[in-house]
Amino acid sequence: MKPAPGSALWLLRHELRLSWFGATLNRGGKRMPGARTLITWTIAWALLHAFAFVLLFKGRVDLSNPQLAIGAGVVLLACATFMLSNALRASVVALFERGDLDLLLSSPLPSRSIFTVRLLGIVAGTAALYLFLFAPFAHVAAVLGRPGWLAIYPAVGAIATLAACAAMLLTLALVRLLGARKTRVIAQVVAAIAGALLFLLSQAYNMVSHDSDPGAGSRLARRVAESSLLGPDSLLWLPGRAARGEALPLLVVVLLAAGAFMLTVGHTHRFFAHGLQQAASMGHARARPRAPLRVHVRRSLLDTIVIKEWRLIWRDPHLISQVLLQLVYLLPLFVLVLRGADTPGPAIGAGLTLLCSSLSSSLAWIVISGEDAPDLLWSAPASRHAIRMGKLAASVMPPLALVAVPLLWLVVRTPVAGLMVCFTVTAAVFGAALIVQWVGRPAPRSDFRARGKENFLCSFLELLNSALWGGLAWLLVSMGGR
Amino acid sequence: MNDAISDTPALRLRGLRKSFGRPAVDGIDLEVRRGELYALLGPNGAGKTTTLRMVTGLLAPDAGQVEVLGIDMARDPAAAKRGMAYLPDDPMLYGKLKPAEYLEFVAGLWGMRAEDAEPRALELLDWLDLTPHAHELTEGFSRGMKQKLALAGALIHAPQLLILDEPLTGLDAAAARQVKDLLLTHVAGGGTVILTTHILEVAERLAQRIGIIRQGRLIAEGTLAELRARTQLGSLEDVFLQLTEDR
Repeated sequence: MKPAPGSALWLLRHELRLSWFGATLNRGGKRMPGARTLITWTIAWALLHAFAFVLLFKGRVDLSNPQLAIGAGVVLLACATFMLSNALRASVVALFERGDLDLLLSSPLPSRSIFTVRLLGIVAGTAALYLFLFAPFAHVAAVLGRPGWLAIYPAVGAIATLAACAAMLLTLALVRLLGARKTRVIAQVVAAIAGALLFLLSQAYNMVSHDSDPGAGSRLARRVAESSLLGPDSLLWLPGRAARGEALPLLVVVLLAAGAFMLTVGHTHRFFAHGLQQAASMGHARARPRAPLRVHVRRSLLDTIVIKEWRLIWRDPHLISQVLLQLVYLLPLFVLVLRGADTPGPAIGAGLTLLCSSLSSSLAWIVISGEDAPDLLWSAPASRHAIRMGKLAASVMPPLALVAVPLLWLVVRTPVAGLMVCFTVTAAVFGAALIVQWVGRPAPRSDFRARGKENFLCSFLELLNSALWGGLAWLLVSMGGR
Repeated sequence: MNDAISDTPALRLRGLRKSFGRPAVDGIDLEVRRGELYALLGPNGAGKTTTLRMVTGLLAPDAGQVEVLGIDMARDPAAAKRGMAYLPDDPMLYGKLKPAEYLEFVAGLWGMRAEDAEPRALELLDWLDLTPHAHELTEGFSRGMKQKLALAGALIHAPQLLILDEPLTGLDAAAARQVKDLLLTHVAGGGTVILTTHILEVAERLAQRIGIIRQGRLIAEGTLAELRARTQLGSLEDVFLQLTEDR
């Protein structure tokens, strides 16, 4: 039965269809054939069922054990941080990037229905992946005689709803407080940090447990577990108990989610329309002139290109946050390597080389592949070689400047090893930038996060470059240190 | 010697060809004199943009020769590009730069001296009413403002040959008038303009000569009066439709 055109249900169907198309876009920008997509997803889901069966049945997991609620609670709370991150991104898209809201708001549909459907769309988009991952475990548990675990469905739905409401409220509050332009950037940065939070916390725990005092980690865990905040009766495990099918926690979680949804829709749909108006007029706000207008033409082409590239990056906080987040992911690895090594020299050498290589390839992608006006550059009378040199300089100088002080410290402390690390860092940085220059493909800067999927060869060579120079740094410093 | 240079056409194309599986440009011969405003017309997909991209050195021709201000594009592209500017239909701007910074960058690309570029940039911003927006990032600009800034970028190094692909698309009446005046001023000052447009009224009013391109070939060329005489029709629209209709 098709919903009546113009109804909220009809709009929701349209929203879900768009989400589905968005999730199944292939590289050429065309929708994949429906049957092929469905078969792929079905096979993946069947494999997940098999995995769940092996884990729960063969692993003889006692599904009636109440302690499992704590495990499920931890997993669901961890997922909640990712859900919040996804929902924040989706809220930013809903407010600032979707081109259809003018059409919808100019239609006779009430703005409340549009907001309800848009929020439901975010909830569905946020919950879908986690339901896909967790539902097989619920199904297998039900087959094994524990149908209560089917409550994973409403529990995940409720957490996704809470995450979506929190994300939308945060985005709208930021719009109200800071204006549309800053909100867009801040929400994207917060989304990136929320996505990495769990990883960083887990790495912090790893670091504590690998500390010089081997009992520190377990002592910390025991102390936390005994505290009222994280004890067995903690409210934090409510989602886990709800997922297990305990009636009261399930009811509480679902009612909380429903309440949050109704409150969000009831009290903020006007803010939503207001936020959209701000977003629409985002570009028209006139900056107050702070200084007399000056034009400063540089003496050399290299300066011209480098300054332009750095300005473009410096003024894009979202891009900077994504680049730095990548480095944040590398830091725990660096610290672990450093702690695991007998002598810190090789580890520092390898770590610095990896860090710089990664930063250089990111910057090279932004500067070279993400060039906004290639036709302007190539229609200029400057030689291609000179332009490429300028771009190369813009990509390699920041990572080299970033590690200059640690490298200097290393050279002063152990001159031979320090010089070897200088060599591997420089080679890795130039190698990474040259790889992007040789095999990179033009793409909009907004594709920064997806660049690995778009150009496998480039990503593979970058990884190889990092691994080889990092490994060589380790080897050279180890040999030189003897 | 100077006479010889000024006698050289601003643009000369000989047997220009480009194919993307099927011919996009199929043996175009064209000559545009200095100080002339030349309009290149044609239906969508006729090969206008491909021709302009070969002229500006953005695309290498499969065959044929491009000579800009007497300089062979294949032999000395840098020299050929020095006296030319290209404005594509989608303005080539950087959203995170301010107008003056954009002009600084373009001036740097063309190797201009600071003492020439700086007053020229300020003059162009003022002329195109962009000074009040000089402290804003271009990502917030309207289509018309972007087009005007891109035009300022094209004019900053005072090119002898200005090539514009659909320069009036999306402009309001005031901005369109400003751009048209600017082109006429450029031609009056001895510069050459080649433009493509779908707005036939613009070609009819501005162009001294008109070329009509269809399926990669230049099928008609001349002044408006010559084209009218050839087809025995009144308006350029009628002439264009008769010459480009599918046969």
